[in-house]
Amino acid sequence: MERAARPGSASELWAWIRDRLRLVGSAALVGGVLAALGVVGSLLLTQYGLAVVSTQLFSLAALCFGFGLLGWSGSVLAGTGVEHAQRYLDTDTDWTEDDSRRAMARIGGFGFGGMLGVICVASLLGV
Amino acid sequence: MASKWFVAKRILLLVPVLTGVATLVFAILHISPGDPARVMAGQRATAEQIELIRQETGLNDPIWIQYGRFLADTAQLSFGDSYVLKPNQPVASILKNSIPITIELAVYGQLMGITLGLPLGVLSAIKQDSITDHITRIGALTGISVPIFWSGPVVIILFSVMLGIFPTNGRIAQGFFLSDTWLFFGNELPVTGLITIDTLLLGRYDAFASAVRHLFLPASVIGIYSMALISRMMRSSMLEVIRQDYIRTARAKGQGEKITMLKHGLKNAFIPVITVIGIQFGTLLGGAVLTETVFGIQGMGMILVEAIEVGDYPVVQGAVLVFALLFTLVNLGVDITYSYLDPRIQQ
Amino acid sequence: MSTRTQNTRRQGGIRGLFARIRASQFLSELASNRLAIVGLVIITTMAGLAIYARVFIGGVPPLTEGQYQAIIHSNLGGNSDLAKASPSLQYPFGLDGQARSIFPRVMYGAWLALKWGTITVGASTVLGVGLGVVAAYYGDITDNVIMRAMDVLLAFPSLLLALALVTIFGTGLENAVLALVLVYTPRFARVVRGAALKVMEDEYIDATVALGARDFRVLVRHVVPNCLAPVTVQSTLNFGLAIIDLAALSFLGFGAEAGTPSWGMMLSNGVEHGLHSAWWWAFFPGLFLALTVLGFNLLGDGMRDALDPRMRDAVD
Repeated sequence: MERAARPGSASELWAWIRDRLRLVGSAALVGGVLAALGVVGSLLLTQYGLAVVSTQLFSLAALCFGFGLLGWSGSVLAGTGVEHAQRYLDTDTDWTEDDSRRAMARIGGFGFGGMLGVICVASLLGV
Repeated sequence: MASKWFVAKRILLLVPVLTGVATLVFAILHISPGDPARVMAGQRATAEQIELIRQETGLNDPIWIQYGRFLADTAQLSFGDSYVLKPNQPVASILKNSIPITIELAVYGQLMGITLGLPLGVLSAIKQDSITDHITRIGALTGISVPIFWSGPVVIILFSVMLGIFPTNGRIAQGFFLSDTWLFFGNELPVTGLITIDTLLLGRYDAFASAVRHLFLPASVIGIYSMALISRMMRSSMLEVIRQDYIRTARAKGQGEKITMLKHGLKNAFIPVITVIGIQFGTLLGGAVLTETVFGIQGMGMILVEAIEVGDYPVVQGAVLVFALLFTLVNLGVDITYSYLDPRIQQ
Repeated sequence: MSTRTQNTRRQGGIRGLFARIRASQFLSELASNRLAIVGLVIITTMAGLAIYARVFIGGVPPLTEGQYQAIIHSNLGGNSDLAKASPSLQYPFGLDGQARSIFPRVMYGAWLALKWGTITVGASTVLGVGLGVVAAYYGDITDNVIMRAMDVLLAFPSLLLALALVTIFGTGLENAVLALVLVYTPRFARVVRGAALKVMEDEYIDATVALGARDFRVLVRHVVPNCLAPVTVQSTLNFGLAIIDLAALSFLGFGAEAGTPSWGMMLSNGVEHGLHSAWWWAFFPGLFLALTVLGFNLLGDGMRDALDPRMRDAVD
């Protein structure tokens, strides 16, 4: 399935890339904005300094990024195994590798955006 | 057959898997409340000493710089030095000796589980609702209900303390030296680090026997647990296959019942089970943590637990990454085996 | 018109659920399963011991050492010669290193295990039901992101994941419970989502929405009650696991405080100090632990079979 989706011509390649960029990019945008707001918000609302705030938020975003990355590659790597395991775990599941990869790309993109957001805002505010 | 691409793709995927795990570990350790500088400096350190350590180790740098440095170091397999467990010793050298110990334990345990669990599951399925089936099912249920940290002590009390058949802990009896040095077996092993293999390679059959006797109880404890899981899985998978039409057809054609089962059923029933065995390997690693603690074996699990207890972050990072690598490699192996058994998967 | 007939046939809410349980063969199926009955008997016995221990032995947990001395050793007169005495008629499970009778401590351990097990399973059930129902009801991206994240969490070995979380939260019984709640939530979320999807295929949910009911009301009154049966099975099976994992974390030194009469701590003490000299230290707490877990597994297995006979031969 995956190989069939592989691009043949240049325009197809562009469409293939654009699809994935849109998926990850939109999530990253949300993550970046949220992280930037988070940094400013916690600086205003709590007594913690920039170092603590940026460390905590960056770690949180990295948690999402790592989770998404691991989930994405794990889905591809152990896809068949998981599908079988799900069948023996309980009654109704419709786990598919494809769905899982998309969801993980979103989560990972969100986290990556968040990491970038923290870097940008924290550098602007001066560390 | 796109076999090469199939394998290559999976090996390439190790990179994002391990980056993901490394990132998770980094994030977890930086969210957690402990201050590594304080851990390194010890309880009585002054504020100035702690500050000095923060500067030396780069803990004052912005977090993303630390993250980048951490990824770069990890990529070169350098996990830094231990803070507390063995101060200033590189993590890699601490882990180097314990990795084969855990692998050996897990592999023999899993082998026991597979060799006992598969036949029991098949037997249980073929003779569904017979006495054998009931006994196997109740046995399997009991097997997964008994925690390793109880079955471990019980077999130690029974076979070591009371009957004296097996030794209680360690990897090999004291007093076995490597032939041309004064090094004890178990501390440093010359070839693979796997004691049952190295002793054989060196032709030291006495040491081999001792190592096997030491390994038997812990491996059995893991094996019983894994046997219980595998036999349950195999039974249900086999039942599913038996109910499928082609088995009935084959039976109608008049072949002997047992031959039919074995010929058509086994392979098809085994395919889903083998993939689940790969995923269960993680549970087994969790079991290894407990087993090593019970039997006093200095494997990865015991080191991980000790490192978490004292807040020795570099050791925790290293141990977790190695666990993740092992888990991924096993699943990679399973995946490749699986693709040979069921070529449809490579499409 | 058709809406009304639908509603009378399939009532929403708790009353409808009870009606359906009575109408189905769930209870009679369960009662005919001998193993499930054995499980139920084990659990009831343990619960009885736990309540007895809670009422007659313990005050408010965690007991101070002083309270123990007062309550458990009143009959010893502080005679430390008796320390490590092996099981006898007077002290059925023997005495520990501080001359405390192990039998009442093990009974009190039943109380702790069931109490913290209930808290763990209860909290993960609530969280899981919430996530699962929301995922099923809203579908699309919400569903996909929630459920796939749950799947990744599920792929981690439960004990190792709990260890990682304990690293974040710090050690201690409450933190261990919190870690396990997060570890178990995905299982509930997945089961609930499956059940909820099935419920929502029924026309009467559409009808209720069409009649103008709010999302939240529909979820709570109609979707959740219809998922309770599979959730109960999952809770029962997870109860055993929760007891084992909590004890494991205590055993490794990340859960209950030293000296707490929990099975995990007693086992840890027995393995560390009594393996060669006093087998009863580790044996009895572990025996009760294993029996309790077996009870929950037997009952859970039986309930699953009764709930869905097609699943009789499946495996968790």
